[in-house]
Amino acid sequence: MDTSEIKNIIIKSLDPDSDTYEFPGQLEKEGIVYNFSNGFREKILNRVFSTGLKVSQQVEFVKYMNFAFYRIALTGVAAIVVLLISIFLKEGSLSFNSLLGLNDNYNESIVCLLTGK
Amino acid sequence: MINELYITTEENDLVKASLNGDQNAFGEIVNRYQKMVARTVKGMLGDSIFAEDVGQEVFINLYHSLSEFRGEAKLSTYIQKIAINLTLNEIKRRKRFFSMFSQKANNEMYEFEIADHDSEEKREASEIVNKALLAMEPKFRAILTMRMLQGYSTKETAKILRLPIGTVLSRLSRAQEQIRNILKKL
Repeated sequence: MDTSEIKNIIIKSLDPDSDTYEFPGQLEKEGIVYNFSNGFREKILNRVFSTGLKVSQQVEFVKYMNFAFYRIALTGVAAIVVLLISIFLKEGSLSFNSLLGLNDNYNESIVCLLTGK
Repeated sequence: MINELYITTEENDLVKASLNGDQNAFGEIVNRYQKMVARTVKGMLGDSIFAEDVGQEVFINLYHSLSEFRGEAKLSTYIQKIAINLTLNEIKRRKRFFSMFSQKANNEMYEFEIADHDSEEKREASEIVNKALLAMEPKFRAILTMRMLQGYSTKETAKILRLPIGTVLSRLSRAQEQIRNILKKL
């Protein structure tokens, strides 16, 4: 079967009027087969009938926690960058004082208020 | 090890025995349906380690939901529904992941290996089918997988995908349009 015939099967399988029953067999003859790796059955039986299931659930949990951590970390980094940009735009620099929200200006009225002079 | 005692056992008896904790009975169910599950999962996800994982999850989910299987529908249909749901979930999960951490295009999220073939023609055929499948939108890919790789009719496809027949018919015509464009480039 040449490639144009394979393409024809693909298109025909999406035709509502075509008889789809034969397609898997035709494709299998052309070597289009899907199999799981050796020992697939044993892996499942081990996971289902042994304590391995609990372990694999824990592994799954850690996997999802990792994924959630990356998401949270990425959002945090983005928030910090936005904060730094806004400080820079507002204060004109990224000095320690500007990060703490302290102004370099000497404020006479505050000094008076604090010292009473 | 395949237990020959169960090779001729009826589906419903295998289910009952599995529910009673009979490991060999459930092993026979895996034997009977693993090829079918592989066609759905690997057809939809490509030949990757993820596909193997999803394949295992299908049977583990099946085992835990066997008590809900009432035997009204075929066991194959029941397994197929689990397989397609888990596969679509994996596609969504992977899409979310790739959209955050990678610039890869949709069809680059998948990988497939071309198995050794006795002729160049067969190798090429395999490549065309896999590339065409993985280049399609997941909702169309599911329909193509059900019809081309599993041989299901429109009615059966609608039942497995839990869609009205009208929706399947409209997706078929849109999928046909999409596949023609994809195949032109292959």
